Amino acid sequence: MKIVVAIKQVPERDAQVRIDSTGKWIEETDLQWALNESDAYALEEALQFKEQHGGEVVVVSAGPERVGSTIREALAKGADRAIHTDCNDLGERDALGVARLLAAAIRTEQPDLVLTGLQSDDLGYGQTGVILAELLGLPHASLILHVEKSEEGITVRRELEEGWFQNIELPLPAALTIQSGGNKLRYATLMGIKRAKTKDVRRLTAAELAVADEPAVTLERIAMPQKQKSTQILSGTPQEAAAALVEKLKFEVRVL
Amino acid sequence: MPLTLAEPAHFSVVEKLAFAVLGIASGALFWRRFGPILHKILESKRDPGFRLFPLGRRIRDFTWEVLCQAKVIRERPLPGLAHAFVFWGFCAFALVTLNHCAVGLGVGFLSSEGWFSRLYFYLAGAFAIACAVGILGLFVRRFLVRPSWLGAKLSWESGFIAFLIFFLMVTYLAAFFVPAASHEAALLWWLHTLALLVFLPIIPHTKHLHLVLSPATVFLSRGGFSDIPPLAGDEDFGLVAGADLTRLVSLQAYSCVECGRCTEHCPAANTGKILNPKEIILGLRGYLNEFGPKSAEPLLSKHIALEAPFQCTTCGACEFQCPVGIEHLPILVGLRRGAVNTGIWEDDHGAKLFLALERGSNALGMQATERDKFIQKQDFPIFDGTQEYCLWLGCMGAYDPKGREIVADFARVMTYLGTTFGVLRKEKCTGDPVRRLGNDLLFQQLTEANLDALAQNNVKKIVSICPHCVRTIQEDWKEYGLPPEVEHHSEFMARHLSRLPKAAQQETIVFHDPCYLGRYRDVYEEPRDIIKGAGHLVEAPRSRERSFCCGAGGGLAFLSEETGERVSHVRANELAGTGAQIVGTACPFCNSMLRDALTATGTSAPQLLDIAQLTARALPRLDSGNATSDVRESY
Amino acid sequence: MSGVWVILEARDSRIGRISWEAVVAGQQLGAMLGQPVYGVVLGANTESLAAEAATRSLGRVLRVEHPLLENYTSDGYTHALEQLLRVEEPDYVVFPHTYQVRDFAPALAARLGQTLIGDVTSIAAGPAFTRQLMQGRLTGTYRHHGHGTCFLSVQSGAFRADAMESDAASIETFVPTLEATQIRTRPSAPFRASAQTVDLGSASLIVSVGRGIKGAENLPLVQELATVLGAELAASRPICDNGWLPMERQVGSSGQTVAPKVYIAVGISGAIQHLVGMKGSQCIVAINKDPEAPIFEVADYGIVGDLFEVVPALAAAVKASKQQG
Repeated sequence: MKIVVAIKQVPERDAQVRIDSTGKWIEETDLQWALNESDAYALEEALQFKEQHGGEVVVVSAGPERVGSTIREALAKGADRAIHTDCNDLGERDALGVARLLAAAIRTEQPDLVLTGLQSDDLGYGQTGVILAELLGLPHASLILHVEKSEEGITVRRELEEGWFQNIELPLPAALTIQSGGNKLRYATLMGIKRAKTKDVRRLTAAELAVADEPAVTLERIAMPQKQKSTQILSGTPQEAAAALVEKLKFEVRVL
Repeated sequence: MPLTLAEPAHFSVVEKLAFAVLGIASGALFWRRFGPILHKILESKRDPGFRLFPLGRRIRDFTWEVLCQAKVIRERPLPGLAHAFVFWGFCAFALVTLNHCAVGLGVGFLSSEGWFSRLYFYLAGAFAIACAVGILGLFVRRFLVRPSWLGAKLSWESGFIAFLIFFLMVTYLAAFFVPAASHEAALLWWLHTLALLVFLPIIPHTKHLHLVLSPATVFLSRGGFSDIPPLAGDEDFGLVAGADLTRLVSLQAYSCVECGRCTEHCPAANTGKILNPKEIILGLRGYLNEFGPKSAEPLLSKHIALEAPFQCTTCGACEFQCPVGIEHLPILVGLRRGAVNTGIWEDDHGAKLFLALERGSNALGMQATERDKFIQKQDFPIFDGTQEYCLWLGCMGAYDPKGREIVADFARVMTYLGTTFGVLRKEKCTGDPVRRLGNDLLFQQLTEANLDALAQNNVKKIVSICPHCVRTIQEDWKEYGLPPEVEHHSEFMARHLSRLPKAAQQETIVFHDPCYLGRYRDVYEEPRDIIKGAGHLVEAPRSRERSFCCGAGGGLAFLSEETGERVSHVRANELAGTGAQIVGTACPFCNSMLRDALTATGTSAPQLLDIAQLTARALPRLDSGNATSDVRESY
Repeated sequence: MSGVWVILEARDSRIGRISWEAVVAGQQLGAMLGQPVYGVVLGANTESLAAEAATRSLGRVLRVEHPLLENYTSDGYTHALEQLLRVEEPDYVVFPHTYQVRDFAPALAARLGQTLIGDVTSIAAGPAFTRQLMQGRLTGTYRHHGHGTCFLSVQSGAFRADAMESDAASIETFVPTLEATQIRTRPSAPFRASAQTVDLGSASLIVSVGRGIKGAENLPLVQELATVLGAELAASRPICDNGWLPMERQVGSSGQTVAPKVYIAVGISGAIQHLVGMKGSQCIVAINKDPEAPIFEVADYGIVGDLFEVVPALAAAVKASKQQG
């Protein structure tokens, strides 16, 4: 069983976000980077699957030089080898463009299973995994919390809205996008990092993969939203305050 | 006629031969057990970073702890003194025993005639009386009083040893009362000799091995408190298997005298956890006996439970108390390192802490923007190299509502004193919880990031409200670079005490010594001096070096305490029991642990205030309002 | 080729609210570009859905109907809509941003050489589409290029559907060519997670109680509020330490970490140990008599008052609101 996990390096959750001079993206010079959260769950699912059923986990990541540190983290956590698709224009590509880049790298591996996180914490398109399935001609399922081997392929648990779930049978090879929270993540260890140094990282470039792209959709500019979180104190008698809160829960939070 | 030590007249060849044979047999029996132990110690891995020199500290520790028996006496004065008399008796007897054996071979060198010998025999006699009384006292304690920390099981070997020692003293003293060269003298000589020859092989078979090993253990100890050694090479992940045990660890494992001081003071052992520091050390000994120091068998399996080291608050009471020089913390942290660096420790809360620090900046998993907002709200200047101090907020000071109040009040104190300070724009956790939990990867990453930020901002002096931050910056960071000078806010405020106003009110305040300020940093007087300026100081039953932990250290503030009673509740009850109106703290972790625990003690729980808050109460209020400690809106 | 096409999604055999919001977005776009707006429903038996859709100011309603579309599958929906879109060649296709749409719309767009602009929150002249980035810390404005169809999905709640005009539209049927073998996945019936054990982690509503409750005898008050809300009951550490509630209901650093839609903190002051366990909640409501309590700093809504008065009043108000429907 060969599992490919596509992972993305994103700004660290705590990163201080500033808009750069082009107005199209954030200032990257001072940023610290981390593995995208749902990708960490995708990797975890792959590692657990491998630990149970054997096989190989290959991580694929697109991005500039700095992506190397995230790839090493994935190798440290237990991935067997990696493919780094070197490119500096990730942000300028639309979801289809990124997926084409990744698909070109993944296709040669002929994996049994392709996993991605549900969506990235920075651009948040939430499409890469589904488009990858389309480009690779694989059946897919999204928002997956759990994967199990079945007789003909795999059975996955998909999250639906409002606390519902659904099991889906897929033949292999297949592609899945993994939702955060389905597993417990493992932490990186010193031993893992040391072992990772000896693992194979293959570098490819967009040119080598012959993926040129004219994006159908472009990000024109970015902005900081105006609103800041502040506490609304609901005053009045207990009855008035309670009534005001019910209004808020009903019409603003929309949970009643 | 003054008393003279009677010596037997002549020894026949048969007697001499018998003595020689018995002596050799006794020595051989001793070596048969001691030889393999020594071999196991020497076969263990060399200690990375160990340096014998400078000798000054070693000689000082040896003199104080071994020769003066200071630790033994300080902790348990009466039995300690009894033990000291036995020890000094043994020392005095070294020459006597040598002569005694020499007499058996007809080459005695101390004669009852010479003034030196006569004087020395008297001296040894005096020590013999003290020693006999001492051992009798210890016997009574062990077999009749039976304190709980010695364990439920009666140790018959201890009783037999006590008898032998007593017998040795009596047979020595009796020789003063029999005529020289008499049959009685010969009989006494033989009884004394036989007791000696039985005693010798018993030593390595029992905890009395400490007679031989502990002087070496004390002399060779790493010295610093909780001195965690560096990892050596690419295959060192801490104490994983026997092959990771170093010579010092093995020596310490065989030195344990099972006195139970460590257990008596251990917050985990006292609240029903699996962890018992004595059993950790004896577990290592058991492991060495069974598998040896080259084994690949995991340490955390048969002899030590995996959970045990992870229940340690690293309060260091065990290491501080140990009279034979065992350094528990490097061992406990070493076992954690072995389990965490290789990933075999699985704990939901632990993993959450590690992941929070892998992905973010602080141990609490909060957004760093919350820290920015707090800084803005407080109007703290950003450190730019012009200020004297870098005020290190720490995770608790930056995110915990109570910690923020403490930081804000301490900032008011600094402002009042006219001391300039600034905070870093970005600060990461110092790595204290991950260092103690044994995650070297994260600790290195955090340390390097922080050292880098401090160097870039040209920071020369740091002050912090958190003893954990202070300790980690000053000692633990040294593994990866040169940290700036750092001090705790208690030290800073105590130094400026004469310029700070005293409180008008005289409430009673009981001070809770934080482990990381007291035992780790040896700071006991400074916070007390500050409290004396803010009210009337009262002491808790366990204070200073013997302070009882709040339960937060060693990363445990972030784990869940599942077994037994909560450490914090035990301590809170003790503090509330003093009847003081206020509990004074000097550590935001103690503060947060005691906060919940004190309210659980009942409705009349004392108020809980940090020394910075106690000091700031007496400062004149500023009218402008924005400089006051209104931190609550700032979340 | 022309028109703005809105793909409507059924919820319990009716058109869901978010689909109406997508219609509103489509109409906004149509008005901006002077283009007609059409509705599309999919399924095996879409008669009543189409009739429902036809009441809301849509120029045409298309029934994409096939027995293999009875249950949603990504393959079925993608194949069916691909055929429709290749025939009709619309300018814009608007989806509601639901879990189902997220599952197939990116693949559908990709099959037509396009990229979906997902989770759109507003549409401006151009048209320019705004969506959130960096988990809501930034917004980004997107444009579509070229001559193909532009695909977008709109965020739930971003376009208000309460004031829709009603009108009657013509209904047409489109029957795609589908083979059972084209559908590679086999979904089974949806189910709810069993409610046997306390699972605060996946609860969408939580009522949590702290020291302010004073004694175990007062807990029924809060339990009542949780029951009328359909919420899980949780607590801060001192409550569980005292044994008033079982440990598995403890939220905080030594208990559970939760992220519900709404977290109502009753009589909880907000110690850091508690905050770290619930700070991920989407909406936090604090009820506390101390206006200085740190919990108010993280709360979205706060009521300063005696919980013994506020909680029963709130339970009554919720009950009344639910009875109104």
